[in-house]
Amino acid sequence: MKNGEIIRNKRLKDNYFRVDFYSPELCKQAKAGQFAHVKICGIPNKVLRRPFSISDVSSEGLLTIIYKVVGAGTEALSSLKPGDTCDIMGPLGNPFSPSVKSDIPVIIAGGYGAAATYLIAKNSPSPGILLLGARTAKDLILTDEFKRLGFEVKVSTEDASEGYGGRVTGLMEELLADKNRRNMKFYACGPHGMLMAAGKLILQHGLDGELSLDHLMCCGVGACFACVVKVKADNSDGWRYARTCKEGPVFKASEVYYDLEPE
Amino acid sequence: MKIDLNVDLGKLKLKNPVMTASGTFGYGFEYAKFFPLEKLGAVVVKGIATFPSHGNPTPRVVEVESGMLNAIGLQGPGVEKFLHGEEYLPFLRKSNATIIVNIWGKTIDDYIEVASRLEAEKKGIHALEINISCPNIKEGGVAFGTDLKLAHKVVSEVRKVTKLPLITKLSPNVSSIKDFARTVEDAGSDMISLINTITGMAIDIETWKPKLANVTGGLSGPAIKPVALRMVYEASQAVKIPIIGMGGIMNADDAIEFLLAGASAIAVGTAIFTDPIAPLKVIEGIENYLIRKKLSSVSEITGKLIINRKKG
Repeated sequence: MKNGEIIRNKRLKDNYFRVDFYSPELCKQAKAGQFAHVKICGIPNKVLRRPFSISDVSSEGLLTIIYKVVGAGTEALSSLKPGDTCDIMGPLGNPFSPSVKSDIPVIIAGGYGAAATYLIAKNSPSPGILLLGARTAKDLILTDEFKRLGFEVKVSTEDASEGYGGRVTGLMEELLADKNRRNMKFYACGPHGMLMAAGKLILQHGLDGELSLDHLMCCGVGACFACVVKVKADNSDGWRYARTCKEGPVFKASEVYYDLEPE
Repeated sequence: MKIDLNVDLGKLKLKNPVMTASGTFGYGFEYAKFFPLEKLGAVVVKGIATFPSHGNPTPRVVEVESGMLNAIGLQGPGVEKFLHGEEYLPFLRKSNATIIVNIWGKTIDDYIEVASRLEAEKKGIHALEINISCPNIKEGGVAFGTDLKLAHKVVSEVRKVTKLPLITKLSPNVSSIKDFARTVEDAGSDMISLINTITGMAIDIETWKPKLANVTGGLSGPAIKPVALRMVYEASQAVKIPIIGMGGIMNADDAIEFLLAGASAIAVGTAIFTDPIAPLKVIEGIENYLIRKKLSSVSEITGKLIINRKKG
């Protein structure tokens, strides 16, 4: 098998797909929270790679990426067949810090943020809780996979089509109100607004948490300064732009600068 | 036969004609894990000013057909951190690469100050590239690159404070590139580099909003190559100083077109985002081309475009 060769590329549900690449070197090095930067073969007239969170890695050298078809790149990826080969850079970025046995890992995911947090759940020494939010029921993915890891799964949908009706931060507030819960360590990945809300809640409760942030990315290695987000800084503004590809994508909730007005 | 890839840019000699375009290669540090930087003709670092700078709000980039728009806005550490920070000049000095520092400012004094600071600590710096062509900042940048008098002034003032070879990076967003090429030559620039990005924009038809927070941005990638090539050709007809050509170079064939059009050296930019080792592939491809054409040195193709204009 060639490096970057597609072994499987199948629809999970609706617009969500799962692709497995043969990529043994990357699998050996990959840690939960890192990403792969993929040059999707066969997209005409496009020059940029696409960054994807690493959903899973196997000892057989299979790199799993779960993706939603949202544009030309993911559209092209979804039409690739086993045997097609993509050039993959990675693993890139800083990983989540692993939880320890005494921690209860709590994963806050929005939409396909569930894909970026699956590996941290799989590697956790103790099972934890997944709070997964989405716009509607068809955007809820990987719930069975998390349950198989022993995770307690609670879902929310903005249109109340499944689970709690509202945003995932609503579920988070319910959880935080339960005083019997101890040693919770939060891992969050999802849309920017959700992450900002989750980060603030984590900090308000004096808890430990990490957020996986990103933005439109080009180089993937810290050279182009496209994918920046605001983090706290010791300067007159109190913030600076940090490159999510190199300094992130995982940031401590306490490092992130929470703007009064969303960007 | 040994192929001679050396290029003579007057005060600046390079081991091969392939450089990195400023802003696409960071400060070199990020790419050193992909290949030894000394393999390049030169590393051109991202723009340095006297002051640290946040850059523009996000989104800063958007992909378009055959290229991309960026409005990074020259986020940077400022000259002091560049001179002393571990991942900047001290690292580059150890890499043995030929280093060119791109400089910018909001005022002429800013340009003078940053050039003076670099002149004072120039060990390991082989040339300065004066950026008068960034389209993404409100003050400075392209304001100097689209006004002949200001372009002349900034180059001549920088010339007074440094003996380092000076490259002036020109903006394509002007009506006559020849005039700007002649102006900066007259002001004392030793070389010119072109083109910087072409101002453009993209709109989201669902939200009716621009796709970049800065509204407009600079277009780069294969989409701009024909324009860049024409401007390199025109500039080379207008001046005697060497030209560094860039704009959409994705491979060696593209690079060779620029050399034929009149460039003595070239820079690879956006292609690095597609493939971090693209500059090395371009070097290798140029060498293979020269072998195939039974030529012994790269300088034999600079400006060798053949034009047979038909009469009538």
